Amino acid sequence: MWSLEQPDNGHKNKSGTNRNSNSGNNRVLSSSSSSRSSPSSNTSILIPQTPRRRTMEEVWKDITLSTFHQERPITPLDHHIYHHHHHANSSPSFKGMILQDFLTGPLNRPLPVSQTVVEQLPLPPHPSPALPETALSLNSGLEFQYLGPDATNSHSNSSSSGHNASFISSAFSSVAVGPPSPTGLFSLCSKKRLQENPAIGVDRHHKRMIKNRESAARSRARKQAYTNELELEISNLKEENAKLKKQYEELRLAIGNSLPKRNPLRRSTTAPF
Amino acid sequence: MSRDPLTLGQVIGDVLDPFSRSVSLGVLYKNKVVINGSDFKPSAVVDKPKVEVGGDDLRTFYTLVMVDPDAPNPSNPTLKEYLHWLITDIPATTNACFGRELVCYESPRPTAGIHRMVFVLLRQMGRGTVFAPQMRHNFSTRRFALQYHLASVAATYFNCQREAGTGGRRFRGDD
Repeated sequence: MWSLEQPDNGHKNKSGTNRNSNSGNNRVLSSSSSSRSSPSSNTSILIPQTPRRRTMEEVWKDITLSTFHQERPITPLDHHIYHHHHHANSSPSFKGMILQDFLTGPLNRPLPVSQTVVEQLPLPPHPSPALPETALSLNSGLEFQYLGPDATNSHSNSSSSGHNASFISSAFSSVAVGPPSPTGLFSLCSKKRLQENPAIGVDRHHKRMIKNRESAARSRARKQAYTNELELEISNLKEENAKLKKQYEELRLAIGNSLPKRNPLRRSTTAPF
Repeated sequence: MSRDPLTLGQVIGDVLDPFSRSVSLGVLYKNKVVINGSDFKPSAVVDKPKVEVGGDDLRTFYTLVMVDPDAPNPSNPTLKEYLHWLITDIPATTNACFGRELVCYESPRPTAGIHRMVFVLLRQMGRGTVFAPQMRHNFSTRRFALQYHLASVAATYFNCQREAGTGGRRFRGDD
């Protein structure tokens, strides 16, 4: 939601350069956008889109040029979770793969060119030293906005923030099909994270996976325990019911036998005198 | 192959060793009976339940312990177990009102995950032989039973989670 509104605000801000002269609707929107986009780094992404675009396209060229030379050694370099093909080879975690595939799904469709770049991007950490700087400047805005406290919290899972970023990026790509900037942002997000903690990201992912497995096992055990308990209750109650019925029948018979013995000397009819 | 709910729920394992149930234990929260694995919201367990103890001899005394082995978080139970309630000297065939409340009832308020709240009934050697621990947290029913020569005779448990449920992933550093 937050991410989807961003491009709209960006467009609005671009079109209404003089905010004071906007109509009421636009004024509300621009004021809300101005209140939301108060951190300057955020507005730096969207409002002055033309200069930023140039920089990103330059960067984009850098990426394509640099990775073009290194198209071969894909698998050995990568350890990042975003490269789901390698991830499939390394660890058979179905959930992780499916989630990754799902999240990068929307990216595949509109921008086939950028997808290959995204895949190859996390691999070469060295060739383009200019990239991390721009990645940092862009991501500080993006992360600061979207991840909030998690960006500052060093303990937050890379997978969770990764899912965050990829969700945002998928939202982006679904909105803005033309310009490669959203995917550029996404790839740069992943690039920055790779630079920060390649091994720790995998570690956290594994830890999360193990915790999830334990939690799932507990959930299954809980369900099984309750089901068994209910079954035991049912059998107990059935037993009790049968016993009580039997008891009732026996009592009824016992009383039935004893009752009809009325006093034979009692009158059944009364004489008129 | 159906197995004992206490074992499946890992109550036997985390809290107790296997034992044979010899005395009946009935726990009622506002007329809803606690059966193994049933769910109770924190709002339903605010007040102490009615506890009925079986047995046959009024001269036998029991201790009731209520612990949370999943405190504060089932995936990371650092405070295991958390003692919520401790009553001793309950005569057989009566209820908890006849006992001595050594640790007053603290209503469960789990913040993370789904917690098991376990009631354990332990037979005492004699009257007035059991004493309260220093702290509620890091309580060990096993150690407690060994210390005061108690034998477990009955146990039951229910599941408790936050009022609004624990579904979904929350973005906080709860690793």
